[in-house]
Amino acid sequence: MAIMMPASDQAVLDRRDAIVTALRAIVPGEGVIDSAAEMLPYESDGLMAYRQPPMVVVLPDTTEQVSQVLKYCFEQGIKVVPRGSGTSLSGGALPLADGVLLGLGKFKRIREIDFDNRVVVTEPGVTNLAISQAVAHAGFYYAPDPSSQIACSIGGNVAENSGGVHCLKYGMTTNNVLGCEIVLMSGEILRIGGKAAENSGYDLMGIITGSEGLLGVITEITVRILQKPETARALMVGFAEVEAAGECVARIIGNGIIPGGMEMMDKPAIHAAEAFVHAGYPLDVEALLIIELDGPAVEVDELIKRVEAIAQSCGSTTCQISTSEAERNLFWAGRKAAFPAVGRISPDYLCMDGTIPRGALPKALARIRDLSAKYDLRVANVFHAGDGNLHPLILYDANQPGEIERAEAFGADILRCCVELGGVLTGEHGVGIEKRDLMGEMFSEVDLNQQQRLKCAFDAQGLLNPGKVFPTLHRCAELGRMHVHAGKLAFPDLPRF
Amino acid sequence: MTATGRRNAVDTLKVRDARDVEEVVRAAIASDQPLEIFGHGTKRAIGHPMATNAVLDVSALNAVSAYEPNELIITVQAGAPLADVQSLIDSKNQQFAFEPMDTSVLLGVSGNGTIGGMIGAGLAGPRRIKAGGARDHLLGAHAVSGFGDSFKTGGRVVKNVTGYDLCKLLAGSWGTLAVMTEVTLKVMPRPESERTLVLSGLDDVSANRAMTAALGSPYDVSGAAHLPNSAFRPAAGEHAGFSAQGRAATLLRLEGIAASVADRANSLVKTLAPFGSVDMLQDGVSAAAWGAIRDVEPFAASGALGAWPVWRIVCPPASGGALGQALARDSGGDVIYDWGGGLIWAALPPKPDAQAALVRQRVEAAGGHASLIRASEETRRNVDVFHPQAGGLAALSQRVRHSFDPKIVLNRGRMLRGTAT
Repeated sequence: MAIMMPASDQAVLDRRDAIVTALRAIVPGEGVIDSAAEMLPYESDGLMAYRQPPMVVVLPDTTEQVSQVLKYCFEQGIKVVPRGSGTSLSGGALPLADGVLLGLGKFKRIREIDFDNRVVVTEPGVTNLAISQAVAHAGFYYAPDPSSQIACSIGGNVAENSGGVHCLKYGMTTNNVLGCEIVLMSGEILRIGGKAAENSGYDLMGIITGSEGLLGVITEITVRILQKPETARALMVGFAEVEAAGECVARIIGNGIIPGGMEMMDKPAIHAAEAFVHAGYPLDVEALLIIELDGPAVEVDELIKRVEAIAQSCGSTTCQISTSEAERNLFWAGRKAAFPAVGRISPDYLCMDGTIPRGALPKALARIRDLSAKYDLRVANVFHAGDGNLHPLILYDANQPGEIERAEAFGADILRCCVELGGVLTGEHGVGIEKRDLMGEMFSEVDLNQQQRLKCAFDAQGLLNPGKVFPTLHRCAELGRMHVHAGKLAFPDLPRF
Repeated sequence: MTATGRRNAVDTLKVRDARDVEEVVRAAIASDQPLEIFGHGTKRAIGHPMATNAVLDVSALNAVSAYEPNELIITVQAGAPLADVQSLIDSKNQQFAFEPMDTSVLLGVSGNGTIGGMIGAGLAGPRRIKAGGARDHLLGAHAVSGFGDSFKTGGRVVKNVTGYDLCKLLAGSWGTLAVMTEVTLKVMPRPESERTLVLSGLDDVSANRAMTAALGSPYDVSGAAHLPNSAFRPAAGEHAGFSAQGRAATLLRLEGIAASVADRANSLVKTLAPFGSVDMLQDGVSAAAWGAIRDVEPFAASGALGAWPVWRIVCPPASGGALGQALARDSGGDVIYDWGGGLIWAALPPKPDAQAALVRQRVEAAGGHASLIRASEETRRNVDVFHPQAGGLAALSQRVRHSFDPKIVLNRGRMLRGTAT
């Protein structure tokens, strides 16, 4: 494993049997798993290059049990790693050898559907898609749609602030959650927010969303639901130059049009996807845009015309417009299958996740091409073009000595390039362990210290999911120290009134 | 105004850059001299009277650092006048989609304040039900913490999950966590046209049902407000900018390209048929009506209820009608509704405690919370301005505050009564 995790606490490992017994007293029956064979499925999440068996797995099914497990671990100084469905692509749920893996998979119930207030109150183990399915009969859906939505849990979505194809128009998880029940590392159970549009006081829901399981364990979530748009149609537009496709994206936005989704694929991604799903993608273009407009039919028809004209003005070489749901779905089929399609042409691939300003797209793709040559590894690019979120897929073969290291170095260089171009390390997959050691590319030590101080407000002993997100662990006491110069109050050169 | 008097009695330190802010905050820590964070001072009458004895004035940090319409972002220093920034983005047909409230009408001050004040207060207007609040539009910030350290959070792109999202905490923190020096905000295209459907004469509970039906429809309603008929103020229609009929008005806004708005209006009229016939307000008149609602003009400081304390109540939207109606009846006050019932503005007849016990008991029972946005300094000294939180949550909020500002030197005492020392 290339990345260092916090050193194991031998004193904790020595007490393993007693710890398992104590946990069984809290979560009876099959809720505590301690055999090596049965723990195997928990060794890794969606970032499969990293594996680590936990000390023990606990699967509670009530908030009270979660509280008691955390309280016990808090008192005993035992680390805890929370886990939803285990689909994280950044290693957010990677276990620790001396840690309890706390799985929320048994929290599978939707507690309340409230159409009048347009919310669903759900347990965290419910899948993202199951929420939309539960309200579909009344024309509603839950907007954020990460591509793993059939498997990923809503609790994991909150932890990672998951996005998806439609977040340009409808926002990410953070824009669609209203409240939660959360258990702190001490075992304390708190309710934050609810069915109202805003919390009182500081926006704690906002800080918990995207905190990657480092601040607390969520046991209930209140999400907003929306009415499904009346109709949706898509355009599939090909360009001979990546630059022209980038310009097209900028002009669509510049003309005040916010599509429901706007995706780009480069030539290698187009070819891989077409070979896999036969969606009818043009194979002689350098870039393909899939642009989806949704809303009332009259609006969609009008915007389709406007977008088509913009695409032509940018020199599009092909343009197909969907005339049926089947055709729209076919346009998307290739894009949605892009990852497995790339999986067919390469034994292994790394999926990166940086964001850049939309306008920097041609530059970013040129840099990625150069890096591909430098590292001698192929790359295919899919891109949430509307919001600048880039997903380069780096192709490698784990059986070839040194290739994974080269692939990881290539990936790190891509993310550095994103930051250089004015973007960020991760748009929707999270930092986890994958980008942990790159945090210094974007944040200074002072920036990171302020974030870790906030962690201290929730988990002063640093027992919850340590080793994720932050490249350096600090003790809370050390972070709380003031470094102030002795009481000078002169400001000789400041204007006074 | 005592606040003004106090201001003249203390040091006002006009900072020129983030380095100055660091220096002032560090000195404040060293000498335990808490600072009032000040832009244009338009919202300083909101919150508890502060235990501060120096003013950190950020109004000179007023530059627009970068405006990139095609990226849908603007980066601007915290002291920049909101009105100037709004007219700049308006020139490119863009806007802050959360419709920041102009509190000057309600508070009886002039000016619309600064960008920093807009974020620190986080008071969103009618479109919050569709577009979110200030917290949803703050993409990144540079700020100076109560440690006297400059830090940054977030970035300049819409899609970003790198590290904790400290922006969410800064929005609505009333300057108690950090002094923002520069922020990056999301801007959105301004709709090409708008139209408002008006139902007349509904009682509050029926109006709430009508708004719930509209917001539960697929017609993308971007504003849902109700102005009850009131003995205390001019008729709803007058406030909403159309002819006064002496009747309650329920307003539902549609925005977008003209063809779409017309189409959805036709559909929504059918959905609303059980609630009566519908009048239409077109672009300019519609916009004026929503401006009046956003800024709570019915309770203007210069109006008939100008001396009454005003509560801002946020609750589950479908329970708003019953809550507001009961509150108005039992307090002898007056209410208006926004956010489909999820936001209630309540003006209550003056009493020393602004009827806080009654308001909070009713609001809590409905699953909401209430802030006292307008009240005399005396009242704000004795009543919790922001809704008191339950024990564990209050303790966590305090730990969060200490993680940014351990010596409580920033806006000391503004949000929490009893932190005056």
